[in-house]
Amino acid sequence: MVSPAIALALLPLLLTLIIRYRYFFVLLYRAVLIRWVRDCLSGLSREERAFQYILTHATPGDSQSILDTFDQWCSKVEFISNIGPKKGKILDRLLQEHCPITVLELGTHCGYSTVRIARSLPIGARIYSVEMDERNAAVAEKIIRLAGFDEDMVELIVRPSDEVIPRLREDFGVECLDFVFMDHWKRCYLPDLHLLEDSGLLGEGSIILADNVIFPGAPNFLRHARRCGLYEVRVHRATLEYIRGIRDGMAELTFLGIK
Amino acid sequence: GKDNEFSLYYVEVEENFEGGKEKQATRDGKRRRVRNSEVSRRASENRTTEAGIKRAEKKHDKRHKTARKEGEKHGRKQRRKNADAEEAEEESRKEKKNIKNERTKTLKLEDEKEKDVKKKRKKHANEEDDAKHGKTKHKDCQGMPLKEKKKQKQISESESKSESESQSDSDSESKDNPAGGVLGSLTPEELEKLKEAVDERKKLIATLRGKPWPMRKKLVSLRESQEFVEKYEGALGKGKGRKLYAYKVMMMKKWMKFQRDFENFKTACIPWEMKIKEIESHFGSSVASYFIFLRWMYGINMILFGLTFGLVMVPEALMGKPYGSLPRKTVPRVEEASAMNFAVLWDFGGYAKYSVLFYGYYNSQRAIGWLKFRMPLSYFLVGVGTVAYSYMVVIRTMARNANEEGGGDDTSFNFSWKTFTSWDYLIGNPETADNKFASITTSFKETIVEEQESRKDDNIHLTRFLRVLANFLVLCCLAGSGYLIYFVVRRSQKFALEGLEKYGWWERNEVNMVMSLLGMFCPMLFDVISTLENYHPRIALQWQLGRIFALFLGNLYTFIIALMDAIQLKRAEEEIVKKNMTIWQANLYNGTMPDNSTAPPITAHPADVPRGPCWETMVGQEFVRLIISDTMTTYITLLIGDFFRAVLVRFLNNCWCWDLEFGFPSYSEFDVSGNVLGLIFNQGMIWMGAFYAPCLPALNLLRLHVSMYLQCWAVMCCNVPQERVFKASGSNNFYMAMLLVILFLSTLPAIYTIVTIPPSFDCGPFSGKNRMFDVIQETLETDFPAWFGKVFSYASNPGLVLPFLLLLVLAIYYLQSTSKTYKRVNMELKKKLQTQNEENKKKNKLAALKAANELEQQRSNSASDLGESTLNGVNEESSSLDEAGHHRQAGQNGHFIHPSQSQHTQNSGPPVTATHTTTRTPASRGHTSSGHLPGHPHQPQKNSHSNKR
Repeated sequence: MVSPAIALALLPLLLTLIIRYRYFFVLLYRAVLIRWVRDCLSGLSREERAFQYILTHATPGDSQSILDTFDQWCSKVEFISNIGPKKGKILDRLLQEHCPITVLELGTHCGYSTVRIARSLPIGARIYSVEMDERNAAVAEKIIRLAGFDEDMVELIVRPSDEVIPRLREDFGVECLDFVFMDHWKRCYLPDLHLLEDSGLLGEGSIILADNVIFPGAPNFLRHARRCGLYEVRVHRATLEYIRGIRDGMAELTFLGIK
Repeated sequence: GKDNEFSLYYVEVEENFEGGKEKQATRDGKRRRVRNSEVSRRASENRTTEAGIKRAEKKHDKRHKTARKEGEKHGRKQRRKNADAEEAEEESRKEKKNIKNERTKTLKLEDEKEKDVKKKRKKHANEEDDAKHGKTKHKDCQGMPLKEKKKQKQISESESKSESESQSDSDSESKDNPAGGVLGSLTPEELEKLKEAVDERKKLIATLRGKPWPMRKKLVSLRESQEFVEKYEGALGKGKGRKLYAYKVMMMKKWMKFQRDFENFKTACIPWEMKIKEIESHFGSSVASYFIFLRWMYGINMILFGLTFGLVMVPEALMGKPYGSLPRKTVPRVEEASAMNFAVLWDFGGYAKYSVLFYGYYNSQRAIGWLKFRMPLSYFLVGVGTVAYSYMVVIRTMARNANEEGGGDDTSFNFSWKTFTSWDYLIGNPETADNKFASITTSFKETIVEEQESRKDDNIHLTRFLRVLANFLVLCCLAGSGYLIYFVVRRSQKFALEGLEKYGWWERNEVNMVMSLLGMFCPMLFDVISTLENYHPRIALQWQLGRIFALFLGNLYTFIIALMDAIQLKRAEEEIVKKNMTIWQANLYNGTMPDNSTAPPITAHPADVPRGPCWETMVGQEFVRLIISDTMTTYITLLIGDFFRAVLVRFLNNCWCWDLEFGFPSYSEFDVSGNVLGLIFNQGMIWMGAFYAPCLPALNLLRLHVSMYLQCWAVMCCNVPQERVFKASGSNNFYMAMLLVILFLSTLPAIYTIVTIPPSFDCGPFSGKNRMFDVIQETLETDFPAWFGKVFSYASNPGLVLPFLLLLVLAIYYLQSTSKTYKRVNMELKKKLQTQNEENKKKNKLAALKAANELEQQRSNSASDLGESTLNGVNEESSSLDEAGHHRQAGQNGHFIHPSQSQHTQNSGPPVTATHTTTRTPASRGHTSSGHLPGHPHQPQKNSHSNKR
């Protein structure tokens, strides 16, 4: 039997772990426990709850108001891994710098990032937003329409990304992608990047922006991007959305063209 | 042969290329250059660098080269005179030689003066040439340069290179050429010139560092000058002397090379140097400082080990009485059955206990073996000597380190310090460099924010509060851990009283376990708490070290106090044994020999003789066990905490839902403070226990050796560089100071036990004596002549000792105060220098401001003038001024400036030009709109100019 003294001696370890990884515990609590409880209580999915909140609190047609309400809900009420306001600013800046005409978004989720991208695009630009989950896509569509973007501007594709990318040219008549924003499953980053490379839709100077490359992280994706020599890679360091203490980053890949 | 072939090929290419060239004469230079590079980069270089040279000069040069060639190969020359084809070939060879030489020549080095010298030399060569060979040669030669000249012209048009540069190039090239061949054909004058050139190169190499050139240019010119010097230096000198000189130079080079190799060899001889350097390059100097400290410690332990092993253990093993001859050298009958069990041996019981490894084994015989080795004396002196040596080494090292530290802290140039000194140049790993880069950037950001905040309002209260809070928490932790250890020790004493057999492994090892666990995890907690304080990592490291120091010290002293209690118990036991001993002896005699007491006493087997508990051996055993368990804990932590974690993170990462490498568990960082303190406390235990267990230095040496390799491997294999890599410039002395404190604290108990507690009656070298240090007195009485003892007794008279001590104290005080004064004076001088600098800076600033104001005024005047005059007139004026400015600039800076670019004079009206040259430079510092730095094109001018229009 382990004596109580030895157990007490392990107390510092426990304290250390709790203090050091407190943000992860907070994340666990907010993203998993609260969600589970609310799911049981309300019977709605998390995304639907978010939509209800936005519907009641935001001004329709005003994208800024919708985004603000979203941020408020995510930081005060529950947690949804949107891109968040801080990383969103980086996204806005990139969009303003490059003024892309054709944008592909992988992982619409609730449409937060779609609205964010759409509002800083030039006139005549078009977003192809890919979402696998149908319920999420329904919510996303509602939110996008609420923000005042029509189908000419935002094309929502409800299919897995690995099916969509090879068929972009045939089905949607896309010739060249100026900007690709990745925020879906971190595991799919690398395969989708390969698909994008193979499809030939990337032109010289095309930007691929991948969110959450540090936490939860996409190490294989980053490794490939750094080593294959096709891209100029920059990692924008930031923190995880709505939680301060967890470091995260966005990878900005500039396609250099195949030589 | 090979060379010839190559040259032929080369010439062919060249000629083809030239043919094409002439056809393309009208085309632009850029195309040509591209083509050049296609054919041969060397060739193009050759041409571009020759761009500015005049035709006549070129001819001479060519001819001269031919002459040299012929001097070089006489036989060939004769043949060549006859056949035209051969002549052509020779021509091509010349060409090739030319190219070859230019490979070695410097770019853009020399200036006008040298050029003059060159011209003279060329003339001379020309004459010589004429004298030696026929004029036919000349004609032959002229064909080539003509072609070449055309090309050069075209290229010089296309090239926007400065004239002076290309001239200098051609100079150096032509200078190289004569030297390239055999010097036999050179006249003394030429030699002189060559010598001059070599000297000049040498001078250039020496002063290169100070030249305001871009780094690439510096590198190129350095390499080329070095090559030049190397090539021609040996060839200089006259007649016989030349050979000797060449030989000397060669030997000198060999010697230098040998010296360099020897240096490398010496570096290779420093143990683990390469390993440590590698670690340093990956992890920064703070981690490396730990390993350097470890190596230093290893050296010290080597000497301690040498002393104890050579003067105590080996003599006893070789010359002392063998095992089994005495009760103290025999395993008692009760323990005999289990004495060879591994568990017992691992615990340093059984045969290990009754061996040279521990105090109790040694006999109190005054002199042993045929050498009459004074064993007890040697034992005592070695015990004292090791400690004395350690003190000496630590203090000496500290003093040496203290000299290196510059006094005074400069907080006035925060950003300058950061800009110029924050890079750790020993980093050689991209990942670490990345970390360092990030840390510098963040520190810059932090400093800027701090600066802003400090200007706004002092938010020091929060920081202070947090720091106090952190210290409070740490104190709580320390108190808690202290109490826990106290509790455990008390409990273990209770267990010991009741008999350990009744309890399990956990209870028996409770003290060790608790101490190791606390020692392992409390530092982690401190580390977490210290993030509250927001110190610079170097200061944070010192705080951390201080806290862990307190923790370990508490642990150690609790241990010692417990040990003292145990000693008291053992001594009480000893008294009982002593009593029993007499009874046992009486029984022995009574039982075996009831009547006849005169017969030789029958002795029992030494294993059966009852014996005392021998507290010294017990103390030694405890220390050895502590060291062993400490080492094991360290290694196991290393293996589990670092290695297995790294393996898990690395391989589980492929099938995990988040990134393990960057996210939650991640790889571990190297814990400098914990490791350093572990080392220091380990050493403290060695110093404390070495007197009672002579094997301790040997064990420690083994441990250090293993941990050097193990930790080097673990660091490189499973740790990542710290997030904030920092330099550990000042921490070495901090380590030393802690070592000194520990040394002092660990010698205290050892000295206390030696002085106050009488040694055991039946074990150890001092058995039978009242106190251990009596051995000195004994030696003085018996081994030294009587007068020596007398002198010693006089010298140790308090009447003599006390004044001597007083004198010593006074001397120390005097020396210290003088050194303090020196330090203060140094500081004052430093301050003076600083204030002077600042004043100068202010003065300069004022002057610049004044000049700028003046300029501004004049400019506004001229602007009003401009408004009145016509645009045409201004242009005329400006263009004329332009040229003047251009010439001036070219002279001053040695830079070619395109007329369209040098517009600075256009801004100011005609009356200003005189003052302009003087005001330009200072004005450029403070104000962006006026003036420009000497070497730069003039963007700001352009802007202001265009604004004006």
